[in-house]
Amino acid sequence: MSTAQDGSLPEAIPEQAGKPDHAQAPQTNDKNTKTDATETSKPAKLSGAELKAKAKAEKAARRAQVKASKEVAKGEAAVSSAPGQLGPSAGEVKGSKAKGKQDGGATTTSGAAGRPVVSKGPVSVTPSEPKLTIPECFSHLTMAKRIPITQADKDVHPTVLALGQQMATFTIDESITRLKATLLAFKKVIDSYTTPPGNTLARHLTPHVLNPQIDYLTACRPMCFSMGNAIRWLKLQVSKIDPDVPESDAKKQLCGGIDTFIQERISMADLVITEKAAEKIQDSDVILTFGRSSIVERALIHARLINGKKFSVIVLDDPYDRKGQTLAKNLTAEGIRVTYCGDLGGLGYNLQDATSILVSAESMFNNGSMYAPSGTCDIAIAAKQLGISVIVLCETINITERVATDSLTYNEIDPERSSGESLRLLYDTTPDKYLSLVISELGSVQPTSVPDLLRKLEESN
Amino acid sequence: MAGITQERELPIRNNPDLESFDIVTAYRKLLADDPDLTMPVAAIEALIEALSQSSAKTVFETMDLIKTQSARLRAAVRNPVALTHGTDLFQQYLVLSLKQPGPDGKETSSHENFEVVRQHLMRNGRLFASRAKQAREHIAAVGRAYVRDGDTVLTHGGSRVVGTLLGRAAEPVPGDPSRRFQVIHVVSEGRSAEGDRAVAALRDRGVPVATVPESAAAYVLGKLHLVSMVLVGAEAVTANGGIISRMGTYQLALLARAHGKDFYVAAEQHKFGKTFPLHQFDLGFDQDMIDFRAGEAPEEGDPEDAKNPIGDPVDYTPPEFITAFFSDNGVLTPTAVAKQVIDLMY
Repeated sequence: MSTAQDGSLPEAIPEQAGKPDHAQAPQTNDKNTKTDATETSKPAKLSGAELKAKAKAEKAARRAQVKASKEVAKGEAAVSSAPGQLGPSAGEVKGSKAKGKQDGGATTTSGAAGRPVVSKGPVSVTPSEPKLTIPECFSHLTMAKRIPITQADKDVHPTVLALGQQMATFTIDESITRLKATLLAFKKVIDSYTTPPGNTLARHLTPHVLNPQIDYLTACRPMCFSMGNAIRWLKLQVSKIDPDVPESDAKKQLCGGIDTFIQERISMADLVITEKAAEKIQDSDVILTFGRSSIVERALIHARLINGKKFSVIVLDDPYDRKGQTLAKNLTAEGIRVTYCGDLGGLGYNLQDATSILVSAESMFNNGSMYAPSGTCDIAIAAKQLGISVIVLCETINITERVATDSLTYNEIDPERSSGESLRLLYDTTPDKYLSLVISELGSVQPTSVPDLLRKLEESN
Repeated sequence: MAGITQERELPIRNNPDLESFDIVTAYRKLLADDPDLTMPVAAIEALIEALSQSSAKTVFETMDLIKTQSARLRAAVRNPVALTHGTDLFQQYLVLSLKQPGPDGKETSSHENFEVVRQHLMRNGRLFASRAKQAREHIAAVGRAYVRDGDTVLTHGGSRVVGTLLGRAAEPVPGDPSRRFQVIHVVSEGRSAEGDRAVAALRDRGVPVATVPESAAAYVLGKLHLVSMVLVGAEAVTANGGIISRMGTYQLALLARAHGKDFYVAAEQHKFGKTFPLHQFDLGFDQDMIDFRAGEAPEEGDPEDAKNPIGDPVDYTPPEFITAFFSDNGVLTPTAVAKQVIDLMY
C-alpha cells in the first residue's frame, strides 16, 4: 500500500522531507521502545524475534544517524506528530461518513509528515507509536487508511472521494458492493470527462483520469480482487475505443459498457446464484452461516419465501464485527428460525446440528482456495471433519487468477482493531479440500474446477 | 436476445401444434421398444420427435418448446436425473449449433442456421441413438485394455456398457488376443432379473461367472489377490465426476476403497450432466427409502403414513472413490470428467 500512497500523494510530500523522515524514524523508534520497556518494566518479555528486530533497528538507526545527521529536529517532529494522525482513525469505530471526513480534515498537516510511520519497510519494525505496529512478517500486508480529503489528488472526482471515505470506514465492505459502487462512480467520472485538446480519449482517459481515482481508492482501502478484475476490464474497454469516434459517442459507449457489465456480472449473477443456492436448501435443513453476507441472506430468504422451504439457520458471528446480528434479525423477520452465537466458541456444538454450511467468498483463488472473512476457514475445517458440506457462493468476477496456499500471502490488516500488542487480519484462506461446492452464475462446480470457470469466461469473451 | 424476440414476435403460440403429441408416452415407448436405449438418449429422441411434430419456426419458439417439453418429461418420472442430463445436452447442442457459422462456411444469421440445424435433426432422427450405441463399442475398445489375463472383475447390476465391455474383452480383435478372465457378479435379491441376464450373456461367451449376494461383497473383496478390479456402470455422471447409479454402487465403492481395489466406471459421455449432489439425499428427488416403524404392522390402505419407496432406487458415489471412467472420450479421471462437463454444459 505504501507505494500506492506514494503515488496518490505526490504533491503533498516534498521529496527531501520524505527521505530524512525515513532515516530518522528508527532512531526515535528505538528510544520509544526503551522507554516503553522501562516504564512497563517488562523487558524480559521480549521474545527472541523481537530482540532481533530491536537489534536490527538499532543498527539501522546508527547507520541512519551517520548518514543523515542533519534535520534531526525535523524528523523528530514528524514522527512525534504521527500518533496524533493515526490515533483517531485507529481508535474510532466506524463513524459515519461525515465524521470520517471531519477527522480527516483535522489531521491534515500531521498526516502528510507522519505517513511513513505506517509500516514503511523494515525500518519501522519496532513499536514506533503505541497505537499500531506492524511486525516485519506482516509488512507486505495492506491496510485501509483514512486519507483526508484535502490530501487527495486534485484529479479525484468528488463521487470517488466520497466512495473512498466510505470504503476506508468500512461503510461499504462487501467485495461485490464495493465493486458495484466503484463502477457506478467511474461512470460518473467518465460522464464528466472532456478530452483536453490535442489528446485522444483512449490515450488520455486511463493515465490522467482513471488512474488517480484508482490510486486514491487503493490508498483508502486496498482493492479487492473483483475491483482489480473489473478495472482491468474497464481499461481494456477504454483502450479499445477508436480514436475517430466522437467523444460523446465514446463516453456513451463506455457508460453503456459499464451498465452491461454491472447487469451481467453483478445483478444477474447475484440473481442466478441466489436461486441456485436456494435450490440446495431442503425442508428441515439446518444451515450454518458465518457473519453476514448479503447474498447468503438473499439465498436464505429466497428459499423461505419463494421456494417455501422450512429450515432453520445457525448464525455464527464474528466477535469483532457483529454483522450477523443484522442477518439474524432479518431472517427472523421472514419467519426463519435462527440460532445466534456471537463467536466461534460453540463451533463444535453448533455444527452437530448443521446439515450444510453456506458462506460467500470475498474471492476465489485459481487453485480453488477461498478468500473469506477470517474465521471461515475454522468453520470449514471443523465441518469437513464432521462430513458437513460447505457451499460457497461466489460471482465469477470475484475469481482471481492468482494462487494462495496460506492466509498470509494476501490479506488485509484490520485498521480498527489492531494495536501495538495485537494485530487482526480481516481475511483467511480456506484450502479447496475443505469446500464442497462453489456456486457461481456459470454453474455449480467443485472448488478445483474454478480455473475451468475462468477459462470458460475467457472463451466467451 | 430471447426477450427481444418475444416482444417482436407477439402473439406467440404457447405450444405450437403439439396437442396430439405426448412426449411422456413417446419417451416411454422409445425405452420399451429398444432395450439398448439409455434414458438420456431416449429423452433426446423424444425431444426430436416433439420438434418434428411441432411447427415451431423461430429459434425462440423452439427453445421454448424444448424447455416446456423437457419440464413435462421431468415431471412425469420420479428419478429425473439421467433424463435431465439428456435434455440439457440436447439443449446445449442446439444452442451451440445455432452459434456456429453456416455449413457453407460463411456467417449466417441464426435464423438461417436454425433451419439448417432443424432439417439436419429431422433427417437424422435416430442419429443420437445410433451414436450412443457406437459409444458403447468405443468404450469397450478403450476399457478392454484394462482387463488383463487372469483377472477377476467384480461387477453388479445389468449395465449394458459393462456387459459390452466384458463381452468384447472375451473376444479377440486383430492384434490383440482375447482375455482369459473371470467375473464375480454381485446379485441383489430384489432386482435379480437384469443381473441374471448379464450373467447368462457372459457365460454364453465362455467367461466363468460366479454370483454372490450383496451381503457377501466385502467377504469376496477380502480374499487376497482374488478381485483385481471393480467395474460398474452408471445411470448418470455428475458435474464433479461422481456417479448416480443403482442402489448398492456406493457401498461397493466404499468396500473397494477399503480393500485397495481399483474402482472403474464405464459410462457414455451423454450421461454427463450438471447435477451436483453434495450427499446421498441431495439428488433432487425423494426416494422414500427410510421408513421408521414401531409396534404392530400398520393396517393396509393407510395412505397418509405409508411411504412409497421408489421402485428403482439409486445412490450417489462421490468422485474420490472412483479410480477412472471408461468413456467414449477415452479413459478419464473424475477431475477430467468435471472439466468435460464444464466445457460441454456451462
